[in-house]
Amino acid sequence: MIVPISAYLPEALALAGALLTFLMDAAGVRQRSVVGGFSVLFYSLALLSVLGDLSVVPFTLFATVPSSLLSAGAVGPIQFTPLGLLWQAILLSAALLVAFASLSEAEGDREVPIFYGLLALATLGMLLVTLSADLIFLLLSVEITGISTYVLVAYARKDPRALEASMKFYLIGALSTAISFFGASLIYGAYGSTALARLADIPPGGNGTQMALVGLGLLMVGLGFKVTAVPFHMWAVDVYDGAPDHVSAFLAAGSKKMGIFAMIVVFVAAEDVVYTASSAWALYVALGGLALVTMTVGNILALQQRTMKRMLAYSSISQAGYLLIGLAVASPAGLAGATIQAVAHVLMKGGAFLFVAAMATLGIGSRIEDYRGLGHSHPVTTASFAVLLLSLAGIPLTLGFVGKFYLFASAVEKPGLFVVLAIAGLLNSAASVFYYARVLRIMYMVEPPAEATSERRWTPAVAHLADPGNDPSAPPSSAPSAAVAVGESTPRAPAKEAARSLDPITPLSRSNLGMRLRDEVRTIGIARWTAIVLCAALTIILGIYPTPLIDLANHAANSFFSGLP
Amino acid sequence: MGLWIAVTEASASQLYHDASFVWLGLPDGTNFVMGTLVSPLGALMLVVVNVVGFLVVLYSNEYMAHEEGLPRYYAELMLFLSAMNGLVLADNYLEFILMWELVGLCSYLLIGFFWKKPSAASAAKKAFIVTRVGDVLFFLGVFILFSSLGDLSSATPATAYAGTTCPGGVLHWSCLGFTFTPPNTNSSVPFLPANAAIEASNFGGSSWLPTLAGLLILGGAAGKSAQFPLHTWLPDAMEGPTTVSALIHAATMVAAGIYLLAITDIYFGFTLTAAIVIVGIGGFTSLFAGTMGIVAPDIKRVIAYSTISQLGYMAMAVGAAAVISDLTPTYSLVNGTPVLNTFTGVAMFHLFSHAFFKALLFLTAGAVIHAVGTQDLFQMGGLRKRMPITSITMLVGALALSGIPPFSGFFSKDDLLSLTWQAATLESTQNGSPLLYVFFALALMAVFITALYIFRLWFLAFSGDRSRGEAPAASHGAPAPAAPTSAPFASSTSSSSSSSHAHDAPAAALPLASSTSSSAPSASGAHDGGHAGGHDPSWIMTVPLVVLATLAVAAGFLPLIPGVGHLLPGLSWTVLGKCVTNCGAGSSFDLTDALLGSASLAFAGLGILTAYAFWGNGKVYRLPKDSPLLGVHSVLLHKYYFDELYDGLATHVILGLARGADWVDRYIIDGTIRGIEELFSQASKSGRRLQTGIVSSYAAWVVVGLLAFLVFFLYVVPWLVGGFHLPPTPGL
Repeated sequence: MIVPISAYLPEALALAGALLTFLMDAAGVRQRSVVGGFSVLFYSLALLSVLGDLSVVPFTLFATVPSSLLSAGAVGPIQFTPLGLLWQAILLSAALLVAFASLSEAEGDREVPIFYGLLALATLGMLLVTLSADLIFLLLSVEITGISTYVLVAYARKDPRALEASMKFYLIGALSTAISFFGASLIYGAYGSTALARLADIPPGGNGTQMALVGLGLLMVGLGFKVTAVPFHMWAVDVYDGAPDHVSAFLAAGSKKMGIFAMIVVFVAAEDVVYTASSAWALYVALGGLALVTMTVGNILALQQRTMKRMLAYSSISQAGYLLIGLAVASPAGLAGATIQAVAHVLMKGGAFLFVAAMATLGIGSRIEDYRGLGHSHPVTTASFAVLLLSLAGIPLTLGFVGKFYLFASAVEKPGLFVVLAIAGLLNSAASVFYYARVLRIMYMVEPPAEATSERRWTPAVAHLADPGNDPSAPPSSAPSAAVAVGESTPRAPAKEAARSLDPITPLSRSNLGMRLRDEVRTIGIARWTAIVLCAALTIILGIYPTPLIDLANHAANSFFSGLP
Repeated sequence: MGLWIAVTEASASQLYHDASFVWLGLPDGTNFVMGTLVSPLGALMLVVVNVVGFLVVLYSNEYMAHEEGLPRYYAELMLFLSAMNGLVLADNYLEFILMWELVGLCSYLLIGFFWKKPSAASAAKKAFIVTRVGDVLFFLGVFILFSSLGDLSSATPATAYAGTTCPGGVLHWSCLGFTFTPPNTNSSVPFLPANAAIEASNFGGSSWLPTLAGLLILGGAAGKSAQFPLHTWLPDAMEGPTTVSALIHAATMVAAGIYLLAITDIYFGFTLTAAIVIVGIGGFTSLFAGTMGIVAPDIKRVIAYSTISQLGYMAMAVGAAAVISDLTPTYSLVNGTPVLNTFTGVAMFHLFSHAFFKALLFLTAGAVIHAVGTQDLFQMGGLRKRMPITSITMLVGALALSGIPPFSGFFSKDDLLSLTWQAATLESTQNGSPLLYVFFALALMAVFITALYIFRLWFLAFSGDRSRGEAPAASHGAPAPAAPTSAPFASSTSSSSSSSHAHDAPAAALPLASSTSSSAPSASGAHDGGHAGGHDPSWIMTVPLVVLATLAVAAGFLPLIPGVGHLLPGLSWTVLGKCVTNCGAGSSFDLTDALLGSASLAFAGLGILTAYAFWGNGKVYRLPKDSPLLGVHSVLLHKYYFDELYDGLATHVILGLARGADWVDRYIIDGTIRGIEELFSQASKSGRRLQTGIVSSYAAWVVVGLLAFLVFFLYVVPWLVGGFHLPPTPGL
């Protein structure tokens, strides 16, 4: 079967976006609105086309993938599947969200085209992952994204924290990649092929089985790095914390989802079909254990965090644990649950990091306690953030609840010991409410400081990276480096600081509210404001009426197992 | 809109059902559907809700004009109307419950509309809490149904039982056997024995579980429809605006409980015990509430008791219908499939006519209150001349309520009584139990009581010369001296003795005989309507009155309209034994029925005459001080001390339970939670140290994880499987 060139429209758009951006850089066009505008346009078109391919009703006009292609199986290293297309939509949404919200960043310096260009390249890699039918192609696509994001973390060249984060990211990433490719070579040794479809077969010979299992174990390590599974997660906290906020949002919302999808295509088919005879449980146990450890450790460590971004990073790790439940269960319901949770996670984590970014531009400190009283001074965005936190905690009527419910229900449904995963997930959800609720309490029930002292906001940046708990009693020994740091923890915008302290808690009156809303939109930036509110709104809407999403996810998950479109 | 649906339904003669909207699908394939079902019963309800709703809103334009917070009022009213329509159109329990709660919420909000008045606030709370007791029972009943019948797939008996697959999801009525068709199309096959077995198997072979579920659902209906023993909230609910009383607490929401019983009637047809309990509760409530209506001093409360009593009638009819379905099931062919005949139409007929005449009574009472500024009956009087329209329309309502032909109440009540008689006869001949006759007798006595209290109200308000409330606060601050007369009920001769009860404090309302304090004539009034005025309101309020009065007459002839017969399943419209329309196979004249009708008519007439004898001159009657009836009077006035009983229960039993629960919560549950938190915090503190910020330690952890996997796959798995060759061959 010949794949029509139009089927690659989303990938082509991402590539074109990257090339155009770099061309514009060369031509000296560096306005954020222009460069970013093109990116947003390209991602939107790509998203429309993918939604059309998924037969989402109003967009069918934009479909470019012929339906015959969906049932055609692998064409070389490429395969179009409903599940892949659905995840394409998820990943593109993440990219679009970040690109759109970044329009509100401070007006350009030289780095604007670099940011958008690298974002487009990373997106291209993610899209290619969803098309992979071959292990090597998959790993190479993962690397495209990986390398782009290593650089993306450091695109703000003058921020030592970002540089440090990028370096850590790169080193651990290189290690993981090496392990991944070694695993792939073992798999090639076992099967004599790197086609993903072959993973569903029993490899020839007893040793072959073991070789394949070891290869899969190595891949679990390499890809576990991408999805921040414990104990391969340690880079994530420092990187999310050190990277520019919008890049953190992209890492959490986008590239982590790519890792999850890669794990799905590598492991789920293998789990479900292969090794039924002898060691069917081995992969289940490995993935289940990974899920268990990941969500528990993520939650436990999140409890003690005093910095918002680090808290969100750990919460993101525990969310990865929930997603891994779906992989461990490896049933259509589990896969659908993971898909729904992935959508939820894009909205929740993307929106949450964007909120942090917005607060940082307002000069609000990075520690959780610096968020006190925000519910009064920035009612709409704070309410949106609150919704996203509730969704992360899995409170009903939010999409986070639906996703978790589906994941846990799939674990309960599957006979065997999978119910352990559901129980662990429930306990973890209960524990996670502690730290989410604490943020809510601080935002709504604690009065903001009467006088915004800059000492209070001031945190030594390097110590801050070294000491994850960010102990407030830590002596400001590294003051020089803090002065260099451009991170949000330094008092860098005194004017905005003053503006904020002018926001007293006054009783809400109508005119006051309208004024405050206008002020809020103006200070946060219309694009970022819209993106945050949109995330919260979608979380709620899909939480109340999730059926369309559930249908899509179920269809995709079923087709993944049946091979039918 | 509702009318349009209803008319379409009337002409279409079949169900409209759309269950295409899947709200939430569960991973096991269970779908929760938000469907729309227009059943004949629902169509009838739609007419009631929307006609009364429209008229009440129109009426509100003047009645509520002087109040504050009108946007809130209209918003809540509209929310109520949409929720009520949703409730009627719901096609499954889940949706029904959502709407059920929503109307309950609106009721709470609207009762507490005058939230600054403490009595209104507490009445709202009371209504919410008491109905909540019923709601909890209802939920439990639905849980039983859902767990017993809900999760069955299409191959299991539940669907054979329902005769169809379950298109609308598991909570759809049809999946619970509510649109029942017998498995065999031969309608002569008695389905009950065979299906009783199937039914038991659906409930895990248990025979008491279905009965329990039925009783629990009845509990929900009793809470919403203010049936004994959950009736106490409705009189207090009169603290809300009169318009709200008319719409929510007379015509629509309180009837939702009856509607629930009616649509689940076939279910009750399988649980005879539950059906008999319904008849019992209904019959008892009808008399019980009526007696309290005789002494209530507040015009709205009298009508509220009347509502409870009438709802009791409807419940009784639903129960009787279920008893009949249970004992002698019959079928008729609908589109070729035999469908069980039900007799819920009788109850729905009464619901229909009651909605109009009761809304009429409330709205006329509202007009009176609007005019004289008090709700105290003892301060009214002589309004007939000044408020002719109000007086006449209220008379229509009173006659309809009493069951005097040709007003609608007569026809519906007559049918309802004869149905109960039929059920009682069946029960006593088949099971030898005369129990239902007792309930029937109670209901028949209630006919007398009904006529008595409603005409007491009418005479007190309209008859006589002048309003007592206007009388100068004259002569005596002392108790009206017990007039030495021969009659057991002594007429207090002085029409000028003004007895001003605080209308919003019934507990403090004194027994008539010792009523004292003739202080300021109208100490309290919800409205600022001038006393001196006391005239008919403007057209905005009179038009609804006249329309409702017309409907109160016309509703009795509803079954005569061609095409609407099937809206009222099982109703044969009979007048004094002469069957006029929709007759069954039996004879067109039934002597028993004729006798029953005459008896009820006679009772009603007697009630009116008695009322005339006591209050015909529009004056307040007082019991003599030594009358033996004083005790009865006091009990009635204190509403059989139910409030006190419940308060006592709440203070002692519930509070005790709550303390116990609190202890458990504090020390066991909270303790556990704190323990978990402590555990996590400690773990968190120690785990944090591992995050050193040094990249080589991160890499070390990756390697640790890698080694763990390698050990697992290379050694643990083969060892457990006993399969692969160990150690790995050099070929690896």
